Amino acid sequence: MNKLVKLFITSISAITLALVSFTSSFAKVDGEYIVLGSAISLTGKYSSNGVHTQNGYNMAVDRINKMGGVKVGGKSYKFEIIYYDDESNPKRAAQLAERLIKQDGVHYMLGPYSSGLTKAIAPVTEKYKIPMVEANGASRSLFTKGYKYLFAVLSPANQYLEVAIDLAVEKNGGKPVRIAQAFEQDAFSQDVRLGILDAAKRTGSEIIIDDKLPKELNDMAATLAKVKATKPDVLVVSGHTKGALTAIRQISEMKVDVPMLAMTHCDAAKLSKQHGKNSEYALCASQWHKNLSYKDKFFGSGKKYDKDFKKEFGYAPPYQSAESSAALLVFKDAFERANSFDRDKVRDALVDTEMQTFYGNIKFGPGGQNVAKPMILFQVRCKGDTCENKVVAPTKWASDKFYHPIPKWSERG
Amino acid sequence: MNAVKQKDLILYSGLIILGLAAPFLFSAFKVQLTYLCVLIVLAMTWNLQGGEMGYNSFGNILFYGLGMYLTASVQVGMFFPLAEWTESGGEKTFVHTTAQYFQGIGVGLLVAAIVPTIIAGAIGYAILGLRGHYFAICTLGLGIAAGEIAGGIEIIGAGQGFTTPPFPAEIVDPEARGQFFYFLSFLVLVLAFVFVKYIYGSRFRLILNAIRDNEDKAEAMGIQTMKYKIVGWMCSAFFCGLAGGIMGGLIGYIDSTDVAFDGREMGVFMVLMAILGGKGTLWGPIIGATLFHFFKEGLWTFILGWQYVALGVLIVVIVVYFPEGLMGWLREKYPERFGEVIDEKDRKAQVELK
Repeated sequence: MNKLVKLFITSISAITLALVSFTSSFAKVDGEYIVLGSAISLTGKYSSNGVHTQNGYNMAVDRINKMGGVKVGGKSYKFEIIYYDDESNPKRAAQLAERLIKQDGVHYMLGPYSSGLTKAIAPVTEKYKIPMVEANGASRSLFTKGYKYLFAVLSPANQYLEVAIDLAVEKNGGKPVRIAQAFEQDAFSQDVRLGILDAAKRTGSEIIIDDKLPKELNDMAATLAKVKATKPDVLVVSGHTKGALTAIRQISEMKVDVPMLAMTHCDAAKLSKQHGKNSEYALCASQWHKNLSYKDKFFGSGKKYDKDFKKEFGYAPPYQSAESSAALLVFKDAFERANSFDRDKVRDALVDTEMQTFYGNIKFGPGGQNVAKPMILFQVRCKGDTCENKVVAPTKWASDKFYHPIPKWSERG
Repeated sequence: MNAVKQKDLILYSGLIILGLAAPFLFSAFKVQLTYLCVLIVLAMTWNLQGGEMGYNSFGNILFYGLGMYLTASVQVGMFFPLAEWTESGGEKTFVHTTAQYFQGIGVGLLVAAIVPTIIAGAIGYAILGLRGHYFAICTLGLGIAAGEIAGGIEIIGAGQGFTTPPFPAEIVDPEARGQFFYFLSFLVLVLAFVFVKYIYGSRFRLILNAIRDNEDKAEAMGIQTMKYKIVGWMCSAFFCGLAGGIMGGLIGYIDSTDVAFDGREMGVFMVLMAILGGKGTLWGPIIGATLFHFFKEGLWTFILGWQYVALGVLIVVIVVYFPEGLMGWLREKYPERFGEVIDEKDRKAQVELK
C-alpha cells in the first residue's frame, strides 16, 4: 500500500506540473496572425456539412491572406483558424468552445455547423463576451435569446420553405393546399417546420401529415406510404443532407407521385449529381446560388467563387461553403472598421456591418440574424442525363420557370 | 491497522485539498475538471451494478438524462411558464435573477436526485428479474427509448432542444460560473465517494458480490436478492440524476439524444471507464475515469477525425490485455500490495486441483 500511495502522489504531482506549464495561453493576436477558433463537425452525422463549412472557411482565409490580409492600425495581419472536431455533438461543442477561449486564448470565434451546435456554443461565447460570426446556425430561437455577440450571415430557418407554400398556393389558383411534411427532430428542421406552420395558417392550408424523423435518418418509408394513400398537394421534407438523400431515394423507389416536393440541403447532398434524374423537379431552399449577381473584390462573383472552389476542392460549392466564406469577409471588414483588436470595439463594428459579398448583402438585425438577404428556391432540372439546379424564385434572380406539377412516375422516362 | 488509517487520512486530505485548489491552480481547465468529476461519479456508481453486482447496465444514462431535464425544467418552471420558455421562436425572453437561479438549481438538483431514484425502483422491480445479457439488452433499450420520447415532448423543447437558464448576469466575474459548477460537481463526487466507500465496508457489498458470483446460491442462503438488486440500482440512479443535473446547467443546452440520453457516448463511456480501471474495485473506476479523460482530452485533438478509431483500439487493448482493468492487473502482479496474503502451499494446492 505504501508504494502505491507514493506512486499515486508522484503521478498526481507530475500531472499537476504538466498542466500548470500548459496553462500559459496563446495570444488572440499572435505576431502577424489574428487567431480565430472554431469547433467543426469533422465526424458524426454532420460530417459532410462540417467539411463544407471548413472548406469555406479555409478558402476565405487563403484568399484574404493572399490579397493583403487584414489592415489594423496600419499593419497587415493574416487570419489563422484553430479547429477542433465537435463530433456533431452539442455537449462536445460547448466544451470545445470553452477550451478555445480559455486554453487557446481565442478572442474571436467562427460558428460550427448546424443550429443545435450553435445553440450550445452561443451561451459560452456570450459569457466570455467573444464575438462569434456564424454561418450555419439558422434556427430562429438563436435570435430571440438577446445574444449580443452572435452574428449570423444567413437567413433564419423558418424562412427556408415558407415561400414554397406560397408558390404552391399560387399554382393552386390561390386556393389553400393540403400539405404533408416530415422533419428531422433537430433544432434546424423543427424551425423549418414552424415556418411551414406559419405559412399554412396564413394561407389557410391544411397539414394532413406531420411526421417526425429520427436523427440517424435513413428510412422514411412509413411517411411516404401515407403520402401515397392521402395524395397531398405538397410534400415538405427537411433533415439535413441525409434527409434529402433518403427522401429522393425512397420516393423514386416507391414511385410516390406528388405534385410538388420541397426540401432543404439539396446542394449539400449533391442531389443532382448523386441521384440524377430521380431528383428532377425537387424544389430546394438555398441561402445562395452561384447565379446570383452579388459581387465583392475578394471572390468576384458567385460564378467565379464556384470556379475557384471547384479548382481547390474538386466539387461545386454548396451554399454552406459560400456562407462560411462570407463569415470571414464579415470579420475582416469589422476588424478594419474597428481598427482595433478590442473585443467590444470589434463587436460594435460587427453591429454596424453593411456590406455586399459574393454571397449576398449582409446587415445584422437586432437579434444578430442577417436581414439583408432573401432566401432563394431552386429546382433540379435535367437535360439528358446531366442535372442542374435552376433558380426559380424569387423572380428577380430566376433563370428558369418553375415546373409544376411534377409529372407522374409512370410518365417519366 | 492504525498506521494504514493514518496513511488513508493523508491520502484523502491530500486529494480533497487538491480538489479544492484545482480550479484556482488550473483556472483554464475548470470545465474539463468538472467533466472529470462527473465522469468519475458515473463510473463509480455504474460499478455498483456492473462491477459489484455483475449486472451490466447500459440504462444508467436514463437517470442521467432524466436528471438533466428535471433540473432544467424545475429551474425554469419555478419562476416562469415552462412552455413559453422552450417554445422556439418565442418572442419573450425571461431572465432569472441571481436568487432565482440558485434557488432553482438547488431545488432542481433535489428533484433530479429523487425522481430518478424512484423511477429506478419502479423499472428495477419490472426488469431486474432478467439476468445476464437479457438485462443488459433490456437496459440498452431504455436509454434509446427515453431519448426518442423526450424528442417528442413539446414542453421540454422536443427536437428543438432545451436551453437551460444562463448563469445570472449580475455576477460579472466570468470565472464564477466555472467555479460554481466545479465545486458543485466536486461536492457530488465527494458524496458519492463517501457513500461508495461506506458500501464497500458494509454487508450490502457482500450481498451484491454474492449475487454476482452465484445468484441462485445467494437466494438459497435466504437473501432476498431482488430487494438488494433494486436498492443497488436506486443508489446509482440517485447519483446519475445529480450528475445529469449539473451537466445540463454546465452545457447550457439539452438535446434529447445527443446531450441528455446520450447512450452512444456517456452511456458507453461510463462502462468503459469502469472496465478500464477495473470493475469491482473502489479505486478502479476513479483511475479509469481519470485516465480516460486525460486520454480523450489530450489525444483527441491531435488525431482529428480518427479519435473514434483510437477509442476503438483502446477498447480492444483493454479487453484483450487488461480484462480485469488496471486495478485487476496490478492486483494480479502485486497481490501483496493489496493486502492479500498468499499461502504458497494453498496456491499450489489450488493449481493441482484444477
